[in-house]
Amino acid sequence: MNIATVESWIEAPLKRYLDDVHAQLALLLHPSGQVLAQAGFTREVDVMSACALAAAVHATGGELGRQVEGTAFRGLHHAGPSKQLFLAPLTTSRGTFVCLTVFDDSSSLGLVRLYFDELARALASAAPPLPVRSTPGPFIDFEADLNRNLAALFGRDEVV
Amino acid sequence: MSLVNYATREITCKIVYYGPGRSGKTTNLHYIYGQVPDDRKGRMVSLATQTDRTLFFDFLPLDLGTISGFTTKFQLYTVPGQVYYQTTRRLVLQGADGVVFVADSQAHQLGENVESLQDLHANLAEQGVDARSVPLVLQYNKQDLPRDLILSANDLGDTLNFRAVPEFPADALHGPGVFETLRAISELVLTRLSTGAPAMAR
Repeated sequence: MNIATVESWIEAPLKRYLDDVHAQLALLLHPSGQVLAQAGFTREVDVMSACALAAAVHATGGELGRQVEGTAFRGLHHAGPSKQLFLAPLTTSRGTFVCLTVFDDSSSLGLVRLYFDELARALASAAPPLPVRSTPGPFIDFEADLNRNLAALFGRDEVV
Repeated sequence: MSLVNYATREITCKIVYYGPGRSGKTTNLHYIYGQVPDDRKGRMVSLATQTDRTLFFDFLPLDLGTISGFTTKFQLYTVPGQVYYQTTRRLVLQGADGVVFVADSQAHQLGENVESLQDLHANLAEQGVDARSVPLVLQYNKQDLPRDLILSANDLGDTLNFRAVPEFPADALHGPGVFETLRAISELVLTRLSTGAPAMAR
């Protein structure tokens, strides 16, 4: 399964996890919906939609848990006719992330839970310290590029 | 919070369309969705009630193209406007890089506009965000309605635009003002990013 990550330290633990649980799709995302890694998706824009929905499920599950039990629900499982998903947060020195795992009958919830804990430990151990942030230096004088791209998107003349 | 990936030179920004119920937030996204070529947009996700009122959010991923050498992607969200969806609004607002406040220009909706703008400030404050630091654009929607039913952009600005942010009259159903609004919030977000706004730098 092809894995795309925005940081290299995520790749090895995630690949091992996906192999272990025979996952079909997976996402690692920031709770605000930004994708950090994906496996199994063919279109990048579909990844973004899936991340938005996964972040929403995570947020609502957490909030619902806080309202009915005083603490966020952690680890949500949904079972469909042929596919199941498991959604749970994990914490590293780089912050809290959410992992969505989609699997079928070739795996099981127990297996996914078991290896998810291992993934959480592996990522926590692999996460490098948070770097000192630098501003995107080249991101200056962008107005011309922005105007050209937006004009192309909307099929109209560039705004000057 | 923007995601800046230096390795792949990609930037992803989150923009939230905020405003009172039925002000036209979802209509903005529908118009954008209808205008943008298929290869530059993802599937529009709408979590709505059976009567098409936004229940949780609408979501539209856009590929803006290359800007200053970075592949730039925008995630456009709407929030549910109705007062009792306070919790979900707060969740959607989390990590926003910029906000478009869509006001309803109808005169009888002025109170709802003010209340929603106050709600936006309160929700940002609750997340520890100084509202004055968040890129904000105001859109006065439904300016196509008969003059006797609506307030002018100037009148709305007098009441709502106390921060003197960019403001645009609009008719989101037919398009006028939608592009200008998106362009303005894009510029503000990218400007803020270039001057050192918080971001997840990769």
